[in-house]
Amino acid sequence: MKDLMRIKCLISEEIETLLNQQIKKEAHSSSLYLSMSSWCDQNGFDFSADYFLKQSEEERIHQLKLFKYVLDMGGNAISPEVSNIKTDFAGFREVFEDALEAEIAITQSFKNIAAKCHKEQDFVTMEFLNWFLKEQREEEYKARRALELFDVIGEEGTGRWEIDKHVNKITYSEQ
Amino acid sequence: MERACININELINVFSNNQGTIYQSDKLNCFYIDFGGKFARFNCLALQKLKNAVESIDIEALLLNTHKADFELVTFNGCEHIYLLSALEIIALKDLLQGTFTMFKLNHMISDCLHRLVY
Repeated sequence: MKDLMRIKCLISEEIETLLNQQIKKEAHSSSLYLSMSSWCDQNGFDFSADYFLKQSEEERIHQLKLFKYVLDMGGNAISPEVSNIKTDFAGFREVFEDALEAEIAITQSFKNIAAKCHKEQDFVTMEFLNWFLKEQREEEYKARRALELFDVIGEEGTGRWEIDKHVNKITYSEQ
Repeated sequence: MERACININELINVFSNNQGTIYQSDKLNCFYIDFGGKFARFNCLALQKLKNAVESIDIEALLLNTHKADFELVTFNGCEHIYLLSALEIIALKDLLQGTFTMFKLNHMISDCLHRLVY
């Protein structure tokens, strides 16, 4: 008997479902960052607004990368519905706390997919995921560093203005 | 109608339960579902979509809802076929499809061992 399902698609049904869930999570993150950018802009934190706008674009690129992979492997990529995006934040610090929390959730999600790939011995998808796992190092570092600025600089006086100026300069280097 | 055009001996029985059978045609690279008096042809994608459609039905809600008949229309966009099923038939079709997909996995493992992996 021909292995028709495997002929049609490289990835298993379970991996396809997990990747589609990840596409949705990336879309959610992209919208959340856009919402953060809007809040920052309205509250006078222009550099942070730019920072979150860039982050939003990055998440969108991640989403499309996953989307293309599912399709290229013969799967069914699902365009996600995004809802319940937080639009109001209690303060400047909370925006960055939420950003770090979102990145931690994304990292955890990728770890779960990687664990499933190992279990199924799907090393093709695992190799594809390596790029995202590496990317999460940078994403979490940047989110954590931004939050660190609140402790290093302090929010008193012109503190928030200083933090805002420095947020956009955060870069990550492996060396 | 579709059954008349097909030589049943050329089909491979993938999985059966007491309500129906799912066949695979290696010649035409497609599947046939013999269920509820209907013999229908599906391709890989359509079979997966049918499985998702059946699995997404909340049978408990269907049985508890007194304002609705205990029947459900099962189809999806682009599907050439439509099923009107009772709760028991939905359970049977779900079992049939899940059994079939388990057989696909088993067949995949066997194909890997016998033909694809060289030790």
